[in-house]
Amino acid sequence: MDAAVTTLKFENKSVIPTDPRTKLFLTVTVSTIMITGSTGGFMNLVRPCLMACPIVFLLLSWKWSAAVRFAVTYAILFALELTVLPLLTGTWNFILGAAVGIYTHMLPGFIMGYYLVSTTTVSEFVAAMEKMHIPQKIVLPMSVVFRFFPTVKEEYAAIRDAMKMRGITTLRSPMKMLEYRVVPLMMSIAKIGEELSAAALTRGLGAPQKRTNICKIGFGPLDVFFFLLAIPCWVGFFIC
Amino acid sequence: MIELRNINFRYAGGTDAGGLVNIDLIIPDGQVILLCGQSGCGKTTLTRLVNGLIPNYYEGELSGEVLLDEKNISSLPLYETAKYVGSVFQNPRTQFFTVDSTSELAFGCENQGLPEAEIIQRVKSTAKQFGMNNLLGKNIFSLSGGEKQKIACASVSASNPPIIVMDEPSSNLDISATKDLRRMIQIWKQQGKTVIIAEHRLYYLKELIDRVVYLKDGKIEKDYPALDALNLSVTQQAEMGLRPFDLGVFPVTAHTAASKGSIQCENFHFAYTKQRDALDIDSLSLPKAGVIAVIGHNGAGKSTLARCLCGLEKHCRGIVKVDGKPYNRKQRLSLCYMVMQDVNHQLFTESTEEEMLISMAETASDKVDAVLERLDLLQFKDRHPMALSGGQKQRVAIATALVSGREILVLDEPTSGLDLQHMKEVAEELVTIQEMGKTSLVITHDYELIVSCCTHVLHLEHGTVQEQYSLDAAGLQRLREFFIESR
Repeated sequence: MDAAVTTLKFENKSVIPTDPRTKLFLTVTVSTIMITGSTGGFMNLVRPCLMACPIVFLLLSWKWSAAVRFAVTYAILFALELTVLPLLTGTWNFILGAAVGIYTHMLPGFIMGYYLVSTTTVSEFVAAMEKMHIPQKIVLPMSVVFRFFPTVKEEYAAIRDAMKMRGITTLRSPMKMLEYRVVPLMMSIAKIGEELSAAALTRGLGAPQKRTNICKIGFGPLDVFFFLLAIPCWVGFFIC
Repeated sequence: MIELRNINFRYAGGTDAGGLVNIDLIIPDGQVILLCGQSGCGKTTLTRLVNGLIPNYYEGELSGEVLLDEKNISSLPLYETAKYVGSVFQNPRTQFFTVDSTSELAFGCENQGLPEAEIIQRVKSTAKQFGMNNLLGKNIFSLSGGEKQKIACASVSASNPPIIVMDEPSSNLDISATKDLRRMIQIWKQQGKTVIIAEHRLYYLKELIDRVVYLKDGKIEKDYPALDALNLSVTQQAEMGLRPFDLGVFPVTAHTAASKGSIQCENFHFAYTKQRDALDIDSLSLPKAGVIAVIGHNGAGKSTLARCLCGLEKHCRGIVKVDGKPYNRKQRLSLCYMVMQDVNHQLFTESTEEEMLISMAETASDKVDAVLERLDLLQFKDRHPMALSGGQKQRVAIATALVSGREILVLDEPTSGLDLQHMKEVAEELVTIQEMGKTSLVITHDYELIVSCCTHVLHLEHGTVQEQYSLDAAGLQRLREFFIESR
């Protein structure tokens, strides 16, 4: 049977062969420590590493444009913090300081999440969830989210083209523009959702017996390596 | 054996459209049966009764029984019905659940909880049978419509139900994908499966069907053995509102364009990063005020040409000259207009009139009224565009282009999934546009539409112009070669 498994070809999105659970764990690690972790001491070493980590993953996965885009965002944030912020006083200082602070804390976790979603196929994700004994009722809606990201992207692009051709891209009235974009998008997504669930139901989704999953996932040496790397970060998180 | 006993059905909260009245029908095992009739005649509803979506998913008032080997389908949960009845739907974009093709083929079997080894074996043998090993392990979003539909058929086949129900499966397919579809139905027929097909395009089914059921206003009007249906005369078929079983006999309405100058497209080069659908045209001359059918296989560059022409592709540096006046990409955004396949994407406002007004530089209500009148839309002036029928929405989109003074209209498969009557309406619209002196390009796989209204044919292949001809007697012969003989 193992021979059969290896000859069946699946779509492969990840360049770095890691288990989805590892990616999930790293996402949790980065976002938790970046958002709620303390600063100072040993953490001054950990934080920059955690900020760089998602960018490194993107680079290693050949996702150049995403990596560059996020790196530029980082750069802008730091530039603001170093140049503009000291010049401001009072309320403005507070507002900009808070905004920059929130972004630098949240962005790394967000990028890691982006990496997780863009390098994991639905089947891998479902398999990972099942291995962690997450109930079907939670796994199914989450797998639908994976199916919907690209769908929304396609629909949105079509609507943007349609608006361009009508010459209503200029910001004559921002609220109207938003309405023009969102209303058709919602309509078509609702319709797609309806057809999609009809199709899935006629193929037996929701049967009470246990589903089989032919997608195989498992931990390898790389996963162990990443877990080991994460340990000092967590130790620092709890001690400092 | 499937048995429908005295079925009456009406959709909840809706009109009578698509409802069924006093249906009695027995479908023996192994029969390939075609359900036909005009839009809203109830053929889709009938397929939904067989796959259990009515009453388990779509709500309405249902009386009567649907029996599958003495089991009442209506009272079975959908996941039980799924073991006996597989379904293929109209829209290839909305019937895959996973994102990669291999998982998709396995999806139905996984839901039944079959053992892993068996699923893998089935996926492999199905892929081999349908000749689609090259499609395994792909991201489904990156596949063409025809390939998606192939995956849909194969995934039904992998779960191996004895009955297969298809609801307008060829609507969005080009000729070669339709040919593939026919081959897949052929395989099912050989395997002894019962196949129920609701369909408007009939020509590809001619050699497959055993029986034809013609519905009208929710009733079974005629029930023919296949041979009798195929022998219906051209006029009889037209009176019934059916598209022809034999494309060659479809009546040709000659349209010629008086030569009014030309539109020059120069330097149309474009490549997607994935090397697909690239366009490579140095120079192309289109007849002004013509109705030009753009034909070609999937990936021939039809949509790319349309997008470049409309100025939607930033990296296409082509220039269009109308009577010598050049238009660059940005200028073309207001010279050309594309009526998209899914017209819902391009209607934004709350009334038809407002829809006209946002496209105009300055308000001119008499102009709006004139255009709406011409397109038979005046009575819908205050209606919400989304509340209109599909054909009316399409006309609203055309009207927005006309009021804003566009010279070139591009229609992307305006007749996919339409019955004869609605197809003829689109043909009339195109003639109207031509009479107004505008040029239209129609990307289409619909032979019947082309011979009903087009004046010229532009045949693209591999991103270049294969041939270009006007639809005179010789041109018609070439068109027939492409559509009919190439089958």
